[in-house]
Amino acid sequence: MDISAVIDSLHPLEIKVLTTLGARPSGTALDGEQLASVAELEPSQLSMAVEWLLAKSLITVQAETVTPIVSLTKVGEEYYQTTSPIERILAAAREATGNGTRLTIPDLQAQGGLDPSDVSKAIGRLKKEGVVLIIQGGCIETTGRPSPTAETLRTLLEEMHDSSKELKSFTETHRQVIEDYAVKRGNAKEPFRVDERVTRSFILSTDGVSAAEQLLKQGVAEEVSQLTPDLLKDGNWRQKRFRKYTISLRPPRIGTGKKHPYREFLDAVKAKLVSMGFREMRGALVETEFWDMDALFMPQFHPARDIHDVYFVKEPSHTTVLDEPFLSRVAKVHENGAETESTGWGYSFDVHRARRLVLRSQGTAVSARTLAASPNIPGKYFSIARCFRYDQVDATHATDFFQVEGIVLGEAINFRTLLGLLNLFAREVAQAKDVKFLPAYFPFTEPSVELHVRHPRLGWMELGGAGLFRPEVTLPLGVTVPVIAWGLGLDRMAMVALGIHDIRELFTDNLELIRTTRGLF
Amino acid sequence: MPTITIFQDDLKSLLASDRSTDRGITIAQLEEWLMLAKGELKGHNLETGELRIELQDSNRPDLWCCEGIARQIRIKQQGRLKPYSFFDKKPKSPHHLIVKPGMEQVRPYVAACTAKGYRVSEKGLAQLIQTQEKLADIFGRKRKTVSIGIYQLRNITFPVTYELVKPDDVRFTPLGMETTMTLSEILMVHPKGLEYGPILAVKSLLPVLRDAKDQPLSFPPIINSREIGEVQVGDDELFVEVTGTDLPMVMLSLNIFAANLADRGATIEPVEVQYPTSTMLGKRVKTPQDFGKPKTIRTKAIEQALGQELGETVVKQALESYGYDVSAEKGSVKAKLPPYRHDLMHTMDVVEDVAMSRGYAEFTPVMPTQFTVGGLSAIEQLSDRSRDLMVGLGFQEIISNILGSPDHYSGFMRLHGTEWGRTVDVDNVMSLSFSCLRQWMLPSLLRIEASSSRAFYPHRLFEAGDVAIPDDAHELGSQTETVLGALIAHATTHFSEIHSSLDVLFYYLGKEYSLEPLQHPSFLEGRAGRILVSGKSVGVIGEVHPEVLERWQIAMPVAAFDVNLSKLAAN
Repeated sequence: MDISAVIDSLHPLEIKVLTTLGARPSGTALDGEQLASVAELEPSQLSMAVEWLLAKSLITVQAETVTPIVSLTKVGEEYYQTTSPIERILAAAREATGNGTRLTIPDLQAQGGLDPSDVSKAIGRLKKEGVVLIIQGGCIETTGRPSPTAETLRTLLEEMHDSSKELKSFTETHRQVIEDYAVKRGNAKEPFRVDERVTRSFILSTDGVSAAEQLLKQGVAEEVSQLTPDLLKDGNWRQKRFRKYTISLRPPRIGTGKKHPYREFLDAVKAKLVSMGFREMRGALVETEFWDMDALFMPQFHPARDIHDVYFVKEPSHTTVLDEPFLSRVAKVHENGAETESTGWGYSFDVHRARRLVLRSQGTAVSARTLAASPNIPGKYFSIARCFRYDQVDATHATDFFQVEGIVLGEAINFRTLLGLLNLFAREVAQAKDVKFLPAYFPFTEPSVELHVRHPRLGWMELGGAGLFRPEVTLPLGVTVPVIAWGLGLDRMAMVALGIHDIRELFTDNLELIRTTRGLF
Repeated sequence: MPTITIFQDDLKSLLASDRSTDRGITIAQLEEWLMLAKGELKGHNLETGELRIELQDSNRPDLWCCEGIARQIRIKQQGRLKPYSFFDKKPKSPHHLIVKPGMEQVRPYVAACTAKGYRVSEKGLAQLIQTQEKLADIFGRKRKTVSIGIYQLRNITFPVTYELVKPDDVRFTPLGMETTMTLSEILMVHPKGLEYGPILAVKSLLPVLRDAKDQPLSFPPIINSREIGEVQVGDDELFVEVTGTDLPMVMLSLNIFAANLADRGATIEPVEVQYPTSTMLGKRVKTPQDFGKPKTIRTKAIEQALGQELGETVVKQALESYGYDVSAEKGSVKAKLPPYRHDLMHTMDVVEDVAMSRGYAEFTPVMPTQFTVGGLSAIEQLSDRSRDLMVGLGFQEIISNILGSPDHYSGFMRLHGTEWGRTVDVDNVMSLSFSCLRQWMLPSLLRIEASSSRAFYPHRLFEAGDVAIPDDAHELGSQTETVLGALIAHATTHFSEIHSSLDVLFYYLGKEYSLEPLQHPSFLEGRAGRILVSGKSVGVIGEVHPEVLERWQIAMPVAAFDVNLSKLAAN
């Protein structure tokens, strides 16, 4: 072992311990208490230094002694303050015998605060000592003899109140009582506790002897652990030696400021969309059924509008106003198609139903509002909207979740440019070159497409759905050019990137998990 | 939409035989064919040949069965639909079904036909029942608008009558029972009576189908008679009826059934339904019947929507090989849906069928060339900037549900009954844990804190996101606003530590602010403040009240702020 390298890496606390041992005649062992007092260290400092030195094999454990120590438990302190069960029972029995009243075990148990097990233990003891007799009818009678147990117990309680003692300092009889009344497994309610105190004594190892010798020879005064402003100011750092660190140790962990990995993923998608010329739309968490569904030409009897699919708002249950001319136009389109050249759904539109307030169930509601608010033509819009579905929550269903949705408006929009846009999404959002377009169904688009892509890591997956808004959607909202409606299903991509299999973990409450997830996309 | 179970050999027997069927159908071939039906293969069992298929299109009930899927593929294989003769309006029918007055108040419409010569196999029967259930359940809205009955024809004497009777005047043995019951007993005791009874609003007069010998066929839409209405394997003469509240839906459902049975080899004989008053199809209605009308569509409209020149011939060919009846004219096509479909509302529906028939892969994607400027909303920009600053201040971002429990958002926060404690509540609560929207951010942060006592300290958490604040003056009853919440938790945290973070945040956001002492139940009195910008409140800051921490079972002091970014942007 290179002793000088070892010495360079020593902590001042270690040096104190080494030199303390080294200053004694060779082979002297000191225990922890002695070391602490000679080296003038706090117990915690000493135990740190000792562990480090043991790890470096500069000291060894010469002996380890185990000393049983007795102290009072909480119950013991209570007995000390008041009385123990055996004392109480003895007093009660003496009183009963004195004035000739009957006292049975059930009577004792009926007295407050006594456990049946305490009673039987005490009676057994007193009977054995000949202090009490159980006479006919289960009555307890005292014989007038003193109870050594009760008296010893009291002596011990007073001796140990507020201080612990080594077990071996007690006489044999006292030790017997302590053991009988000590906390054991299965019997926690006892006055005494016997703990084992481990004392180790240490000696220098061969390397330790050399290190200590060298340290004592060269002196330790000039070693410092920290460069300080003062040392820099007066230039005294030149006279100091800086302790070398063990830099291979793992550093302590620190908490960092960091974005949530799922939010980071959504931020990346947001940035992509903006880079492709999309403008952000915002909407409200609470929507009317009108904007959430009617305006999207979903008939009021559509299964997805059922009480089992959408969350309804309790109070107020309905909006006060719905904007005209949209309400009347949409109502007519549902009923007979009006000027859209559609047949409509052929039922009578319920305006009250349209005013019903719901928790936004689809991001398309935000698009519908945008269509009605004189959008740019040509125009591209997106939203990352929180939506709510009346679903049992499980590994694949969340009750609130993000939908990434949007629209593209323009004279030149048609089925082929729709496919072109989806190609662009495949490339930009999923880094995928291979795509498949599958026929799909959405209530508000025709034709409708499902976009499947071959993701570089995930293989074939559904990335999103899209279509051309039906004229029954766009015309009543005042838009006369074709409009693409698109939505991206990004949760699966995010879950794989984050290494999770349960959708609920996207919103996990486990801080350790959030802190340790890298979030590489 | 519906997921159905079919069998590969059954499907194959309904297809035209060509090279792909002769070689045995591969999964890849099947998936390609299913695109024609917007079907997705959800599972398949190689041993039994069982296939589970989800059909997406809620307007195409004809596809929710093996026969319908096979038909759509077969038309593609053969280039056109082989017409069914029994849909013609003309031929007189020997069988009559008489609708008695009064039905218009209860369940006005009925359609029926007979099917002979197809011996029902075990798998065929299962398909028959599955089709009946999916149509009545999903298309017929749980039998409300459409329900279907199938019977053994040989036990029925025509004419059949559809009429109202007093609940105790008619009795028969319903399916699933051993003894006869009156209609009112069926409503009270039979499982189907209990399930579907509520469809019949008036219980004093109930609908019944009876034959010429007064034998009850069924009590629609509840249950069939066991004697006549229990079809078994081996039966080869069937009677099918559909009752309901919407004539086109009733007609369409019967048309689907008739086509399905014909595809399996049955000869369909129509039934003439005689109504007491005229319907949109007249007083005497032959069923099944093709009641659809042709639609003339400009070729240009189709080409424009698809972004591709096709010409009438190609359009005609595409539509014919998808089942349409088409005649091409100059600059337009006259197209009519097959009798088992009734989903043509707009030209765009035809456009999609042209695209599907040709295959989406036939269309070359074109990149949209229009120039647009992208950008984020002002509030998102403010939120993003705040998030960056919070990260710089050493805070970990979190995300939470917005839908949560009133206990978390108000109760635990000591806000019950206060203005701060008001939330937007859900009417149809499924679980109390998801029954109101958050009105501020602090509870979302405390939720994480409460379950993270073992994560090393200090904890510095923040979230920026939407909340819903009840507002009686707003047309939606609430305002959706974007809020930034932050908390610090460790053994010695206190007001001035969180105040320092707020101070830095507002400095870099360029907002002058002041704090005004505030009594707020969620915070320790004397250690809480209202954050004012230009004299207007934009949030709160303080040391979280120990009782709040106790309720969340948090054993660490917490200091926090909650800043309304929407309000901050406005001031």
